[in-house]
Amino acid sequence: MAEIYPTLPQCAAVATALKVLLWPAYHSTDFEVHRNWIAITNSLPLREWYYETTSEWTLDYPPSFAYFELLLSQVARFVDPKMLEIHHLGYDSWQTIYFQRATVMVSELVLIYALYLFVQSSPPSSKKQSHAAAVSILLSPGLLIIDHIHFQYNGFLYGVLILSIVLARKESGLLASGVLFATLLCFKHIYLYLAPAYFVYLLRAYCLGPRSIFDIKMINCVKLAAGIGIVAAIAFGPFVYYEQIPQVLSRLFPFSRGLCHAYWAPNVWAMYSFTDRVLILFAPYLKLPVNSEAVNSVTRGLVGDTSFAVLPNITPRMTFILTLSAQVPALIKLFLTPTWHTFISTLTLCGYASFLFGWHVHEKAILLVIIPFSLLALKDRRYLGAFRPLAVAGHVSLFPLLFTAMEFPVKVVYTILWLIVMLMVFDRVAPASEKARVFLLDRFSLLYIAVAIPLIAYCSLLHQMVFGAKYEFLPLMFISSYSALGVVGSWVGFLVVFFTS
Amino acid sequence: MPSTSSSHRPRKKRKQEPTTSSSNGTVSLDPASRKEKPAFPLVAFFWPARGTSTSQWVLLPCILMTVGLFRWCTGIWPYSGFHKPPMHGDFEAQRHWMEVTTNLPITHWYFHDLQWWGLDYPPLTAYHSWLLGRIGALINPDWFALYLSHGLDDMDLKVFMRASVMVSEYFIYIPAAVICARHMAKTHHINSWESSVALTAILMQPTTILIDHGHFQYNTVMLGFVLASLSSMLAGRRLWSCVFFVGALGFKQMALFYAPAVAAYLAGACIFPRIVVFRFFGIAIVTLASFALLYLPLLLGTLRDTYRSIPLPADVILPPLLSTFPFELSEKAWYYPYLVQLAQSIHRIFPFARGLFEDKVANIWCAVHSSGLHKLNQYSSTSLSRAALGLTLISITPPCAIIFLKPKKRLTPLAFATTAWGFFMCSYQVHEKNVLLPLLPMTLLLASEGGMKAVIRAWVGYANLLGCWTIFPLLARDELRMPYFVFTLLWSYLMGLPPCSLSAYSSTAEGSGLHWTTKIVHLATYAAVLAWHCVEFFVPPPSNKPDLWVVANVCIGAAGFGMCYLWCLWTFLDESGLLIDLGLVESPKAEPGKKKQ
Repeated sequence: MAEIYPTLPQCAAVATALKVLLWPAYHSTDFEVHRNWIAITNSLPLREWYYETTSEWTLDYPPSFAYFELLLSQVARFVDPKMLEIHHLGYDSWQTIYFQRATVMVSELVLIYALYLFVQSSPPSSKKQSHAAAVSILLSPGLLIIDHIHFQYNGFLYGVLILSIVLARKESGLLASGVLFATLLCFKHIYLYLAPAYFVYLLRAYCLGPRSIFDIKMINCVKLAAGIGIVAAIAFGPFVYYEQIPQVLSRLFPFSRGLCHAYWAPNVWAMYSFTDRVLILFAPYLKLPVNSEAVNSVTRGLVGDTSFAVLPNITPRMTFILTLSAQVPALIKLFLTPTWHTFISTLTLCGYASFLFGWHVHEKAILLVIIPFSLLALKDRRYLGAFRPLAVAGHVSLFPLLFTAMEFPVKVVYTILWLIVMLMVFDRVAPASEKARVFLLDRFSLLYIAVAIPLIAYCSLLHQMVFGAKYEFLPLMFISSYSALGVVGSWVGFLVVFFTS
Repeated sequence: MPSTSSSHRPRKKRKQEPTTSSSNGTVSLDPASRKEKPAFPLVAFFWPARGTSTSQWVLLPCILMTVGLFRWCTGIWPYSGFHKPPMHGDFEAQRHWMEVTTNLPITHWYFHDLQWWGLDYPPLTAYHSWLLGRIGALINPDWFALYLSHGLDDMDLKVFMRASVMVSEYFIYIPAAVICARHMAKTHHINSWESSVALTAILMQPTTILIDHGHFQYNTVMLGFVLASLSSMLAGRRLWSCVFFVGALGFKQMALFYAPAVAAYLAGACIFPRIVVFRFFGIAIVTLASFALLYLPLLLGTLRDTYRSIPLPADVILPPLLSTFPFELSEKAWYYPYLVQLAQSIHRIFPFARGLFEDKVANIWCAVHSSGLHKLNQYSSTSLSRAALGLTLISITPPCAIIFLKPKKRLTPLAFATTAWGFFMCSYQVHEKNVLLPLLPMTLLLASEGGMKAVIRAWVGYANLLGCWTIFPLLARDELRMPYFVFTLLWSYLMGLPPCSLSAYSSTAEGSGLHWTTKIVHLATYAAVLAWHCVEFFVPPPSNKPDLWVVANVCIGAAGFGMCYLWCLWTFLDESGLLIDLGLVESPKAEPGKKKQ
């Protein structure tokens, strides 16, 4: 098999150069969060980890991630022991920055390996497509912005996720896939959103026989249960022993937060809030009752309870029911046709549902949709049609994460470059679909993508020139409403493709 | 809406036909599978764009965005003199010039306090500073407040200054490089795909990026004018090449490194193959007019200041140049203020009173002096400058003579490179940063015929990596070690050169014309550089010789650069066909590596 150029290691080498150059760039409070966790896990006994409150950034990831930080701290002590002290709040010597940035890059090797396996495991006929998808994930502007500037460990975690997805491709890898996913959940619980798809797929393809759902494979069930049990026991066992599970859970699931994050993630609730804002203006004419207390709350960007002025308020229970009901149809289809492609589609749809309808969703969670979708986007041109607006909207919605002048050109130029190159390559390698495409959507999608450029220009430059510091919520609201439109549009497009194929 | 059966097919169906005709050494054949593969990693990134399927209108913006990202990300790192009172560094110098030019009358520009980074660059730099200062003052007037802004290190100011380098570069250097690569491709019959690969390699030159976007300078403006001048020569527009070259000189006097080659080429073009007097006068008039245009704003400003009777600063010391006039000057004469301005600007631009070399630079003088071979401070500065002048003349005479006798377009990059190497090695008052000047035309060779085959790629890479290494002490002072490692490793990786790859030196390399002596010299130098880095990192220099590592750097660098000079000269001689004309050589291709220093 001839090599496809540029190869993954070649792309990784060049990307690494750029990422190292970004070391002294802006980093968010997440940098301090992780430094603090390194300090906590290194200097406190395990039973105090989830009780420590010196810093406001308390440990709120599951235990495996804490073990990971403990591992990092063993190296950190040779780099700069001062970063290991809990009371050194906001400590950022250059050694600390170099070290933490480097750990992100080293842990990202998992992603590179997973993508390599993904290309290796794909059949020769679709190798080219898989390679393009793998390169697009490796060079994703989302990961660049979130991991290498903003600071998080998503590359590593998504690497584990992709590894688990790739393992699920072969029947012999299903058990490992399930166990790996359980491990991933013990690292970061945001992946619980994808768990329904895993549950259904493993249930149907691994625990039940291929011919009938009454043909229960007991051995497989036991193996899977044992595997997941061991993983969970390793992660949570010590905390069970110390009887700290309620405390751990209260840290992991803080339900006191509001419906929308300070900056609205581009989901249904952003559109809902936007509609509410617009209705405030028209309420006097339409004779609608206005809750005057709520008029100033959303735009103030406070993390807390969000209340609406005109539209009815939303409760966590409602978002939960909506999320689940958006996932169920796809899960049913997966149960009926448990193929690998349906599995990825369902994963993507689970990601969509939780992103669009979830409670207190961060804009960063869009990777939960983009990354599984990327694996699928080159299946044929209809998938690609649904992917395009998502690629634009998802990445544009990440722009407000970085607001410093120095990083502005990086995020914009990198994202535009990625979009041009990747969409062009995707367009070239995506095979024609067997079914007819709805043409009109392509025109809308093109129009939608074109609007992004004036929008970015307005939000980053023109707004400040025209209004100065006034109405600073406007650009954010525009970006999130614009992106929400794209995400919802691509969701609808994907639903159509999924249920008609 | 059901559509017709053909509607869901891909809209464009182009067959990718790989071009098998690679004249530039970018493609190599896999001996096992007989399949084409990229000769080095940089080519791999262009692999999907092979054939005719990718338009230049897409490829070029992508290249420019990529190199732009790397440039901007370098700018995130510290600049020279960041948090280093009392004098700060080049960043402060450039900022200060913006402060001076926007706040003082034009007649004071060249007279203002020399001790705090006085303006000592030609007028175009002053106008450029004035324009940037005006724009910057619109954003935040505090950045350039007279006296109050000295040593300012505001983060927004940094962004503005970094952006000003980027913008200047994208207005001048980048278009010039793009056009120059096009003309090179046309002259050497190279397809546009290979030309794009070469262009990227040229634009990713580590030294240029590190000096301009890391250390902080505006060299690319001057280099851009030089490239524009060179590409005008390639296109046969000699008059434009004069205009651009005066622009380069008017921005930074260091462009003088190329001046003999430019003069020799233009003179040769007027004489060979037949004498064209008309052309000669055209060139002379345009050059003089360009100089006049260069000084016009300064002189008009002087007219305005004289008219409004704004006096010179009280502590003014008139330039010594004025006293050298053969006749007595009257201070009352109408032309006196203009003469003062001209004399003062020339006095500032060419500081003859400074030493033979500054800091530690990898040229002959510094290497001889600091290695302890022969101490030069026993000689008077006059005799030293005479020696420097003599040696420089010796080193630049051969290339200038060749280009004068053979004024061919395709030879101009080599003429530029050889002359600049001669200047860099032998002349007076050279900075380590001046290595950019010989490197640029030498790197351009990548865009020539066979330019990315092992021989030229190895030599160009050798010069660039060595050049970057000799500015390492400077970068280390600026806390730019990490970008240095990133860029040298990235570039050597992309070009398939040591320390990342030995492919250019392996015997199976395509058209591997590298002589074994060349291989030994190159690999030994790379090994020495690696060893030097290890030693410099782990072993502190002995306390009585704190500069020992820097001196070692300078000596190895000077030896390597000498080799580069000889190689350029030899290749130039070889390419010019002069040897064949003289009947000295039978075969058209001789081995360049045989020469020993």
